[in-house]
Amino acid sequence: MTERLKLTNAVIKYSERVIIHDFSLSVNSGEMVFITGSNGSGKSTLIKTIAGLLPLSSGTLERTAKISYVPQLEEADRDFPARVNEIVLTGTQRRGKLLYSQEDKERAKHAMLELGIYELASRQLTTLSGGQLRRVFIARAICGLGDLLLLDEPCAGLDVQAHEILFAVLRKILDDGCAVLMVTHDESDINGIEGARVINIS
Amino acid sequence: MSEIIELFTYPFVQRALIAGSLISICAAMLGVILVLKHYSLIGHGLSEIGFASLSLAAALNIPALIISAPAVILASFVIMFVSQRYKTSGDIAIALASSAALAFGVIISSVTGKSSNMSGYLFGSVLAITQDELIFAVIISIIIILAFVIFYNRLFLITYNEDYARSLGINIVLYQFIISLMTALIIVTGMRIMGTLLISGIIILPAVSAKSFARGFKSLVIISALISFIAFISGLILSFVFNLPAGASVILSSTIILILVKIFIS
Ligand SMILES: Nc1ncnc2c1ncn2[C@@H]1O[C@H](COP(=O)(O)OP(=O)(O)OP(=O)(O)O)[C@@H](O)[C@H]1O
Ligand SMILES: [Mg+2]
Repeated sequence: MTERLKLTNAVIKYSERVIIHDFSLSVNSGEMVFITGSNGSGKSTLIKTIAGLLPLSSGTLERTAKISYVPQLEEADRDFPARVNEIVLTGTQRRGKLLYSQEDKERAKHAMLELGIYELASRQLTTLSGGQLRRVFIARAICGLGDLLLLDEPCAGLDVQAHEILFAVLRKILDDGCAVLMVTHDESDINGIEGARVINIS
Repeated sequence: MSEIIELFTYPFVQRALIAGSLISICAAMLGVILVLKHYSLIGHGLSEIGFASLSLAAALNIPALIISAPAVILASFVIMFVSQRYKTSGDIAIALASSAALAFGVIISSVTGKSSNMSGYLFGSVLAITQDELIFAVIISIIIILAFVIFYNRLFLITYNEDYARSLGINIVLYQFIISLMTALIIVTGMRIMGTLLISGIIILPAVSAKSFARGFKSLVIISALISFIAFISGLILSFVFNLPAGASVILSSTIILILVKIFIS
């Protein structure tokens, strides 16, 4: 078991307002951790910091270089002239890697099939429903999967079928040794993965 | 009609055609990124800094590029940095810098008695392109098109969502630098041809038209370039036929295309 994420005494602020006080967390390969907490308690802030989007005010963050991230949905994500497959493929980009290989395209296709959005591959982002867009973001993370998967409320707006697909995918990648950190408000999500840890941050 | 065809046999018209088409195409490709990222004002700000630098070069009697290229490139980095850092005040910074630069340019031109050149700087002189300027325009255009092709996937990703790109470990600042540099190069090259007041129009207008009906990013880039090319050629013809200033005619035809697109597509 290798450590994929180690956060020690983390303090995270927006300007001067402290959102996360002295938080520590360690996640190993193959481990599932759920983050819960009330609205505005700082779950997304924590995930974004781990994803490298926000700085730590103090404390340390050590993590694997290859992470995959499913952000909490924002309205602005939809208003962009792009097709579903163009977006899904971007999940395979990494520093120093400019072009898509044939394998990347296969993986993107596979991820879209898995999430049941392959028929939408050439649809415009603007024409998707909320749940469809969320499936696109999950497929994007899955097709370029790293060693640590961060999901920020991925289930909001998903129907029963998509929810089941997501959890089947999660169980598979956990078996393969990926570590998963997922924000949720739903008790039944937590029961969906055996041996998962739950951390409440509020 | 045959007169127009005959016109295209003159070397100065051919130079205008080649340089103008290439610059229009490159500007419109870049315009897609700038419009989608809400950086439309940057082109405008930079071109006014370009104007100031042209006035300064004329006053000091040195070749324009020696001052304007570094000045515009530097300014593009500063503007990009400021609008990144202080998200909401970026447009204010651009407006301030560009009007200050414009005032500076006008004062230099009139103090040194070179204000007769001013209209050339402001409105361009597409029909007075020299052989050297043509070569410069061709080289810059090739660089920009190559950069666009090589970095296409990355530019797409960063234009769509910088945060997501950052989560993949991608160096965002490097690509902001590349986008700024390409914008600066297009402006430096294009302002002699289109004029400093009009160059930002050929960057922005075709992208806005194309956005009305392109469905994906790739088609948006291609349609934008195509519209820009058509606007340039038709603008040039318009200027011959009605004896109008070339740069302004190109912008006019681009504006007409935009209006038609808005009426018939949306
Ligand atoms: N960009 C920002 N600037 C300043 N404050 C912010 C910013 N984003 C979030 N906040 C504040 O930080 C706190 C934590 O926000 P965060 O988005 O992390 O909450 P959350 O736990 O994810 O909530 P939710 O369950 O609604 O998604 C909130 O009080 C919010 O108002
Ligand atoms: Mg949140």
